[in-house]
Parts: sequence; C-alpha cells; structure tokens
Amino acid sequence: MPQYRTQGRIIADILATARDMNTDGQGVGITTLLRRGNVSYTRMSKLIVDLVGAGLLLQEILEKNSRYRISDKGVRFLEAYSQFDEFAQSFGLKL
Amino acid sequence: MAADIAFFENALQFIGAFVAFSIAVVAYKGVRETSSSSMLRLAAAFVFLGTGFVLQGLYGTGSLNSIPGLEFSVATLLLVGMLLQTAGYFFLAFSHVVDVLLSRRVGTLLVLFPIFALSQTSIETVLRSLSFYFILYGVIETALAYSKNKNPNTLMIALGLGLLAAGWWVSLVAPDVALLTLLQLLMKEVGLVALFVPVLRFSFRRPGDLHAPV
Repeated sequence: MPQYRTQGRIIADILATARDMNTDGQGVGITTLLRRGNVSYTRMSKLIVDLVGAGLLLQEILEKNSRYRISDKGVRFLEAYSQFDEFAQSFGLKL
Repeated sequence: MAADIAFFENALQFIGAFVAFSIAVVAYKGVRETSSSSMLRLAAAFVFLGTGFVLQGLYGTGSLNSIPGLEFSVATLLLVGMLLQTAGYFFLAFSHVVDVLLSRRVGTLLVLFPIFALSQTSIETVLRSLSFYFILYGVIETALAYSKNKNPNTLMIALGLGLLAAGWWVSLVAPDVALLTLLQLLMKEVGLVALFVPVLRFSFRRPGDLHAPV
C-alpha cells in the first residue's frame, strides 16, 4: 500500500534534505531536493518558491545555478515539526 | 453511597475538562507552529470535549441552578454538554476518518458503522451511543496506528480511549446499577489519566530532545 505523505511531511522532508545534504556549506541544488523530496519538478518548483518566500529556505545563485540552504527559521520549523509529529502520532494521526 | 458516586462523577467531569483543555492547548500550539489540519481537528475535538465536561460538571454540582433565570434551561444545558462531548468524539474519530480516506483504507470504517442502530428514543441515549461509537472507532484506529509505529505513547492513548469506551459501554448497558456506575467511573478516570500522559511527556521535554530526525 502506498504511504500517503501530508503537505507538512513533504515540506519537512525538503527542509531536512537542505539541512542534511549541505555538506560543503554551499547549499544543495534542486536535483538533490527532487531526488530526496520525491515530488515532481513542477510541484517542487512551486514549493521552493513558497519556502523561500516564507523564509524557511535561503536561495543563493552560484555559477548561474540556484542553491538552497535551510534558514534558522527553517531549523526551528523542523524542530517544532518533529515535536508535534510525535504528539500527533500518539493519537495515531499524521501531522 | 449515591452521594459519593455523584461527587466522584462530578470530580471526574472537571478532571476530564482539565485533561481535554490541556491536550487542546498543545494541539493549538501545533496548529500555530506547523499549520497542520490534523492538529486543528485534534484541538477542536478537545475544546468540544472540555466544554462538554465543564457543562456536565456544573450541572452535576447544581451550580447552574443557583444562577437566576437559568433554572429552566439547566436540562437544555446538560443536553448541550452531551452534544458538545459527542461533537468532540466525532472530531476525534473524524481525524482518523480523514486519514483513512486519504490512505484509501475504508474497511474498518464501513465494517464498524453502525453498531448501534438508533433504536432508543431518548436523545441522551442517542448521544451516548454516538459517543461510544466514535470513541470505539478512535480506539481501533489508534491501535492500528500502534501496530505500525510501535510508539508507547500511541499504545497509552489507545488504552486510554479503550477504557473510556468501556466506561461508556457500561453506562449504556447498565445506567442505574450503583456498582457498575462506580466501575465505569473508574474506567473513565484511568482512561483520562492515560490520555494525559503524552501531554506530560510533551510538556516536560528538554530542548535537546527536539532534534529528532525528520
């Protein structure tokens, strides 16, 4: 049975990818986000615009390519998400 | 004996209100932090439940009778209290229903509905039956969730809801037997305490514990 992911879970996965895969400190590209986020290019593009607009992701242009890093606000969101995800799980729910 | 049971029942209503509002506060914080619709439904469920508990507790203590001009509507308020509780249990079940529909797993929903054909004429009995049905559905879904995530908190909630459901069932089948009344009150009491455990864990969590992998 396919595992349904909520919008919140997809956002959390994208932010976690931006946090965990930024090993060289220069951010991650959209290809990495797509591979780990497991959503279509169209949807990912829209999500990235929303996340950058909300201040959860930071966008930088390096050699004509967009790179993304998680912001402090994004880190706080991830912390809150994991906290409330566990609370929702206690009631057998998905966040 | 009857007076003791009535006192215990009223105390239980206010403890229930405290537990329900505590869960609602945490769930509302979750809505603000994550904009989650699941948290919104959980918050709504426990606000309804808490308000229902308060109204029934006030009815039980007779406080409402002492308010001038309110004497004639006390029975209505009791009914509103029960209605709010049923709405709370509905939202609790509804959260699972949304989850079930989204994951296209409608089997348990269809199999369970309706255990209680609405054969009783009394509105109160209908509300009790509906509440029992909603809690029972919540128990089954929470137990199924535990079978997947093996989270001890989920088991605690399933047990708590299970005890609440058992308490409701006893109150439905034997509403006037004193010993069984005491038993169902004890079940509900322990059930409510079990529901409170995740709130306590959430409240006493240290900041360092928040870095769980997402």
